[in-house]
Amino acid sequence: MMFATPALLLALLLLPLLWWLLRATPPAPRLQRFPAMRLLAALRPREETPARTPWWLLALRLAAAALIIVGLAGPTLGGGGGKLPGRGPLLLLIDTGFAAGPDWPARLAAANSLLDQAERQSREVALLTTGAAILPLRAAAPQPAALLRPRVAALAPLPWGTDRRAAAAAITLLPVGPTAYIADGVAGPDDAAFAKAVQARGPVTELRGTLPARILSVTASPAGLTAHVAATPERAPRTEQIIGETGDGHALASAPVLLGAGATQAEARMSLPSELRNQLASLRLAKAPGAGSVFLLDEAARRRPVGVLIASGAETPLLGADFYVERALSPYAEIRHGDVATLLARPLSILVAPDRTLSGEDGDRVDAWVRQGGYLVRFAGPDMGAETQDLLPEKLLEGDRQLGGALSWSQPQHLAPFPSGPFAGLAVSDEVTVSRQVLAEPGVAQSGFEKAGQTWAKLRDGTPLVTAASHGAGEIVLFHVTANADWSNLPLSGLFVDMLRRIVQRAAGVAVADDGRPLPPAQSLDGFGVLGPPPPGAMALTATDLAGAVPGPTHPPGLYGLAQDRHAFNIGDHMKLSPAAAIPGATLQELNGASVIVPLGPALLALALLLLGADLLLTLRLRGLLRPAIAALLLAGFIPVAHAQSQGQSQSGPDASHESPALATHLAYVVTGDATVDSVSKSGLSGLSDYVNDHTAAVLASPAPVVPGHDDLSFYPLLYWPITAAAAAAPAFTSALNDYMRHGGIVLIDTRGGGADGAFAPGTDAALKRASAGLDVPTLSPLTNAHVLARAFYLLSEFPGRYEGATVWVQQDQDRSNDSVSPVIIGANDWAAAWATDEDGRPLFATIPGGPRQRLLAYRFGVNLVMYALTGNYKGDQVHVPAILQRLGQ
Amino acid sequence: MPQPKLIAQAEASGARLPPLLVAATRVASTVAQGVHGRRRVGVGDTFWQYRPFVEGDAQTRIDWRRSARSDRLYVRDMEWEAAQTVCLWRDASPSMAWRSGKTLPEKRERAELLALALAALLFRAGEQVRAIGLPRTFSGRGGLASLAAALPLSSEGLPEPRRVPAHSQAVLFGDFLAPLSEIRACLEAFGALPVRLHLVQVLDPAEMSLPYEGRVRFIGLEQEGEALIPRVSGVRAEYASALDAQLTGLRSLCAAAGFSLSLHRTDHSPETALLALFMALDAGARRR
Repeated sequence: MMFATPALLLALLLLPLLWWLLRATPPAPRLQRFPAMRLLAALRPREETPARTPWWLLALRLAAAALIIVGLAGPTLGGGGGKLPGRGPLLLLIDTGFAAGPDWPARLAAANSLLDQAERQSREVALLTTGAAILPLRAAAPQPAALLRPRVAALAPLPWGTDRRAAAAAITLLPVGPTAYIADGVAGPDDAAFAKAVQARGPVTELRGTLPARILSVTASPAGLTAHVAATPERAPRTEQIIGETGDGHALASAPVLLGAGATQAEARMSLPSELRNQLASLRLAKAPGAGSVFLLDEAARRRPVGVLIASGAETPLLGADFYVERALSPYAEIRHGDVATLLARPLSILVAPDRTLSGEDGDRVDAWVRQGGYLVRFAGPDMGAETQDLLPEKLLEGDRQLGGALSWSQPQHLAPFPSGPFAGLAVSDEVTVSRQVLAEPGVAQSGFEKAGQTWAKLRDGTPLVTAASHGAGEIVLFHVTANADWSNLPLSGLFVDMLRRIVQRAAGVAVADDGRPLPPAQSLDGFGVLGPPPPGAMALTATDLAGAVPGPTHPPGLYGLAQDRHAFNIGDHMKLSPAAAIPGATLQELNGASVIVPLGPALLALALLLLGADLLLTLRLRGLLRPAIAALLLAGFIPVAHAQSQGQSQSGPDASHESPALATHLAYVVTGDATVDSVSKSGLSGLSDYVNDHTAAVLASPAPVVPGHDDLSFYPLLYWPITAAAAAAPAFTSALNDYMRHGGIVLIDTRGGGADGAFAPGTDAALKRASAGLDVPTLSPLTNAHVLARAFYLLSEFPGRYEGATVWVQQDQDRSNDSVSPVIIGANDWAAAWATDEDGRPLFATIPGGPRQRLLAYRFGVNLVMYALTGNYKGDQVHVPAILQRLGQ
Repeated sequence: MPQPKLIAQAEASGARLPPLLVAATRVASTVAQGVHGRRRVGVGDTFWQYRPFVEGDAQTRIDWRRSARSDRLYVRDMEWEAAQTVCLWRDASPSMAWRSGKTLPEKRERAELLALALAALLFRAGEQVRAIGLPRTFSGRGGLASLAAALPLSSEGLPEPRRVPAHSQAVLFGDFLAPLSEIRACLEAFGALPVRLHLVQVLDPAEMSLPYEGRVRFIGLEQEGEALIPRVSGVRAEYASALDAQLTGLRSLCAAAGFSLSLHRTDHSPETALLALFMALDAGARRR
């Protein structure tokens, strides 16, 4: 235990004085009313040694005083190892590369505790960080630890690697002394020289964190994004979480990654629909805030959705219009096929219409879509020019032009170099020839267009090959050749792929830059993986340099380029991770173990306060004033407690009325022995009971499981019997059921097989025959909507449960002795599963074929059953009244 | 107009009257079974004695049946059953309204209980009761409630013998811890009248034994001031001797005046005190 102000402990010497003082002071007198005052007053003049405070009270007070003195002296527990080794100033060497980002707070805490130690032993401290910098690294000169604290607090990890060579050079300039090295565990190229320089200085203590250093890199593929995590090997396996985030920080997806024990690599696949995928701006490792755990995504990782209109014969391989477009677009775009309505239902980057006329309703829809910002790419074809010419960038001339061929003088034309436009920069290949094309009227705008279209590509003689015009907020692009190889071999060439790709990028709003232009840094990651303004000293890179550069102070990781054309520069693509060996001869320590300082002062003061409180209570007791004080305290303290308790009393206790089933009305179900079926029956009947309680005046308690033959059935108006394939009859069982039916009970037998010949529960039909062997089942007929059961509460014409379609059988003749109520109802629609709900009231089983009405009808049938069981043929009597009224009216 | 405080006090004491009356009648009925008659000659209904006829007796008083049995003439004497008046006083000063523990009654309650129980006994025996200082005489069955309501709620000091009829008896209930000179003056005032006086001293056991410990500040109940006793256990013996001196003084005063004195502690039962008091009253009546 160490003390912040040990001088205060001298006050402990005063304790004996305090003892003497407390002992000499008599305690406060007790108050007593006394009538024979006159006699007492006459006794007064005599002097008496006063009564003394009891010794244990004195001890309590002294203990409290001692605790206060010790607490104010500021004791602390822990606080790092003992004396610093060696002589001379301590060098605090901190790795501030990207690998130090995730556990930076622990590193700072370790640095602060080392500064505390140095301060306590009045050693001077020099500070050196190893993160790479533009200016050469220099250590802060040795100074008292207190002066370095603000500098240490202002340290932050850097989003690039460490420069150990410069650090070694800086170390050699310092005087000899011990070194404390807070290492990040990642190897660098100049580790050997670094280790030698550190060792040459004096005894070394190396502190290492417990977490491995990690780097995240991502590759994009048409199927999804694959994240690769490289880490330094660890003994225990870890699971990391990779989170995909949008530009404003919302997490869209996450995937777990398992790093095995001793593994250095792991992978995870994240597949998302392309709309979500295109929103992702970065992938990061959860709970590892560092520049190495963030991977920024740019256009290369995105897949734009392209819709291709299908036409008859378009899919024919090698001949169809669709074939080449699809091959060209598929590596970087998601292709969807369909007709106009389906394609335009989802957001789309480009709509490709190979050789199709868009007219009528389709044309209107596409027109509206383009006006709102859609991109339409059309290809010419034999039908073009003849039909209406809506939705074309320029007015086309009739007919087409043939170049080359048997009946023509000219040769198939080559392409001219691309003018400035979206295709600028693409190399024109000499292999591409065009033998047939449609021609447009130059300079004439299409009807309905504001201005004439632009030419994006042209042939050697200047006729346009690709024209485009803006229409509303969108654009229409026309290739004057077909999408297959009929009119030109452009679709066969790689140029087609690039041209389509440029169009896709243009449609996404991404302006493609010239490859040679330098890209300035737009946003950079800091040491904690947060995007922000680029640091001073960051320089622009060209796109080719980006591929080969290593993140450093002049090229921080982040986003480069202008707003339309962002390229991501990530640590994960360009740096490798390998574990660093410890400096030979260093004392290794854990980062967390060294630095916990527990201040004991407040605890001791709190204890002293408690003791003083106890002293107060005891003194009050000795003076006889304890009762009123406690009464007041109790009143003040316990009223809210009692209030809270009375409010917190649980509303519903367990339903104990199963003990005496006559106290409430219960529905009952036969215990079949199959746990699943029994639980379904129970939850079904309780769901039905809740529904009945909510919708009718009947009050049902929780359903009761019964075993006929063992339990008394006379309390239950309705008995639900689900038949399982293993059901069998027992004499006691059958006679109990017969008894029950004879005395007015209703048994609902459910074979749960569904309408299609019991296909959902095989074997139950046979089981029913077995189980009902001795039952007095009367003659049955199907339940129609003329029966009272179909009118007992709701008017029903069908009686579905979980399934529907099976016939429900009821007694055929009216038995006046049983009040014309059918004692048995047999069906196969598995009603309990339709009624079953969980504690929150949500249904447990889906209805087949489904629809909300089926479950509602199942509940209504249940209500009808309950009403039929509780009220008999009451509704049967009333049913005649409307008929009579109707007849009277006629 | 009576002050509101007194009215409140009266209502408070009236509210406790029924239990007090019940307690008083119960105590009285416990004692009443052992009471005999007046044992003297006088006007009454009960036969007392036959005595020989002497010149001067009225001739109508000769009992002929007894005289016929012998040669001499006898006069039939009846026992004296004439009601006598007893005057009661109980100390209602603030120093009486004190008790040392929750299980004991206040001294004043016990004094009232004794007074009303005595009155109940006397009413049952046909006597008349008055309260010292008030003109009204109570007797008969409803007399107990009226007497209880008429007892003054607070009093100061010792009573003066006002409105005490001659040849009656007076009973004073109190703690008599006043200075002996005051008590002597009071007893002399009563001694001047032809009245038999009985004193009943009601004390709390704590007043007699001073069971406190440690450093105690005692506060008087009648604004007598406070006394800080640094160590009570050291003072106890002296206090006991002071109290003893007071009691002895009181006893000698009563003995000199011929009055009876009895001491009652509130932790003893009231029935024994009442019996002793009743016997003393009887003896006082007979000694005329």
